[in-house]
Amino acid sequence: MIEYVLMIIAVLGCVLALMQRDLLKAAILTGINGACVAFLFQFLLAPDVALTQAIVGAAIVPVFLALAVYKTQRTDDK
Amino acid sequence: MNELIPLMVIIPIACGLLLNLLHKKDTAIKILAIVVAIVLPIIPLLSNYGLHYFGGHAPLIENPILLETLPSQISQSALAIFHPAITYSYESLQKLFIFVLGIVAFFAIFTSLNETKKVSGPYMFLMFMGTAAVTALLLSNDIFHMYIFFEIAALCQVGIILVSSTKENYETALKYMILGSIGGPLLLLGIGFILGAVGSVNISDIIYAINQNLVNPFSQTFLIGFGLILFGWLYASGLPPFHTIKSSIYSKALPHSAALLQSFTVVTFIAMGLVIFRIFSYLPFLKVIILVFSLIAMILGVTMAIIQTDIRRILGFLAVGELGYIGIGLGIGTTLSITAGLFQAVNEILITALLFIGFGTVFYLTNSSDTKKLGGLITQNPKIAIMVLLGGFAMAGVPPFNGFQSKLMIIESALKAGFPEISIIAVLVSIVTFMVFMKAFYSVYLKPKPQDLSIVNENIPKSTILSIAVLLIICLIIGLFPQLVTDNISPFVAGLI
Amino acid sequence: MIDIVIDTQLASLFTSAAFIIVGLFAAIFLDNIIKKIIGIAFIEEGANLFIVTLGYKPGGIVPIFLPGMDAEWFALNSAYPLPHALVLTSIVIGASTLAVMLAIAIVLYKKHGTLSTSEILGDK
Repeated sequence: MIEYVLMIIAVLGCVLALMQRDLLKAAILTGINGACVAFLFQFLLAPDVALTQAIVGAAIVPVFLALAVYKTQRTDDK
Repeated sequence: MNELIPLMVIIPIACGLLLNLLHKKDTAIKILAIVVAIVLPIIPLLSNYGLHYFGGHAPLIENPILLETLPSQISQSALAIFHPAITYSYESLQKLFIFVLGIVAFFAIFTSLNETKKVSGPYMFLMFMGTAAVTALLLSNDIFHMYIFFEIAALCQVGIILVSSTKENYETALKYMILGSIGGPLLLLGIGFILGAVGSVNISDIIYAINQNLVNPFSQTFLIGFGLILFGWLYASGLPPFHTIKSSIYSKALPHSAALLQSFTVVTFIAMGLVIFRIFSYLPFLKVIILVFSLIAMILGVTMAIIQTDIRRILGFLAVGELGYIGIGLGIGTTLSITAGLFQAVNEILITALLFIGFGTVFYLTNSSDTKKLGGLITQNPKIAIMVLLGGFAMAGVPPFNGFQSKLMIIESALKAGFPEISIIAVLVSIVTFMVFMKAFYSVYLKPKPQDLSIVNENIPKSTILSIAVLLIICLIIGLFPQLVTDNISPFVAGLI
Repeated sequence: MIDIVIDTQLASLFTSAAFIIVGLFAAIFLDNIIKKIIGIAFIEEGANLFIVTLGYKPGGIVPIFLPGMDAEWFALNSAYPLPHALVLTSIVIGASTLAVMLAIAIVLYKKHGTLSTSEILGDK
């Protein structure tokens, strides 16, 4: 059952990340999404991929995004 | 010597990484880059034809002792024939293209070392890495491996534009990257569909599975996979709708790296196009699709080249238009036409490299490439002007150059296959190409020199003149003895159909 | 009345499709560069999830061969490991592409003072 919850959180996280005005929040939500996908990989019997995804998707990608936001501007002005 | 096959990819990658480390040690970079650039075209000549299995994991059927110990579900099924390792297949076609690519890479690196005042380690790294990536694309017999090097080649092309420090290079790079990051995952998705249907990413295995009716090749899975892989191919080779971004990529790079970039594009076009042709040749509409995209590329390429005023933009669009000829060769799909198309690819790599380096001297002399501001440069250096003119003749298909031989073959094959319309369009596009080229040539070299044109650098380096001359001589030799090239292509094509 | 059983594999395929659609929407229609890049990361994630899902076997085991296992039983019950090996590479490729794009975005922000793609690419 947990995997269905994870899938819903992952999709919601991905939609919410794109709806944020604050880009830092968007970066953090990307991390949540990446972590959910990492757990999903574990449920899909791929523990090696899950480890990589946990590092890349939940740590490296959000940190890169946050660094880019830090170097540029924080709000998405439309 | 089959051990040399992986070295064709490993040597440039290792050399590139080393050059990146040696940043700021100029003489060391120069010596290493020149030595490796000389080695690059030599390795394919020394290597034997054959297959290389990474990790030594040959298919089970080649190892009868191991096969006997396995349960019968494996030894009796197709699994015994499938390739467990990444496989490189090295044949006459690969030899030819890697050799030509090595020559162009050598001249691009050679001229760039002499034209730029400050030798940049990262720049050399990107050039070598890109060369390695497209070499791997040609060699690999594995669609996932193809995807990896497709991405590496795209990243290297972006990197080459970024370090070129021309005007607005970052904007173009961003556009190319966004399109590429949409095209790349879609290609991966297409590979995923094929993997899901067949269970292997090796091209020989996929073809085996299709031929033995292990899978239904007309199922939706295959068709969606085909569409997505086709999209990736269109992006990588700059066919419409990506022709504009591709030609602006060329115009934002420095001339010698543009020469290399167009060779990457042509080789990627060939490598991925042949993969698509090998896997999906059973689809009745495949040839029509390739033909349609190629014709659109030819027509859009030359018509958009007419209205440009920047010589690098003009050359970029002409290069895209010339790609259409190769596509026509593949699209008609007879032995003669595919041979002609691949022959045209070899010629295009050489001629366009010549033209980019040749017109690059104009940019080097005046720091401008706008045809409205240029003029009268024939007095500055008549030798280069004449060689560039001859290069233009070769591109437009004037005898006795190589462009004439390959275009003649394409037109002949179109007539034989019963497509007279295509041959007429090919001739017309060739004429327009010549016209566009002559217009650019006139406005750069022949028209009176404008008052405000300032010459930045007086002397063109001898190495540049040498590069152009050697490329021109190669074009002339291929034009006089086309069998030097076609003899390498035809056995491969015979095995293809 | 037809029972539609949504098992893990099908649900995960739907998830990957949702990722790709949301990502494509963001990469094509959103104006902010960072959001576009996030969208591209989602497309990559969706493609990876799709390929990993292909190797899934309902009720199977993780494809790690432990000593003492029966080889035939293992071959029939383990998940298919080839897609996993492929996805490992493509995750890394995705991260490096993202890093390059973010670097370009930072340089362009310093030049133009905005993150809006229409303003950066529009004025030519």
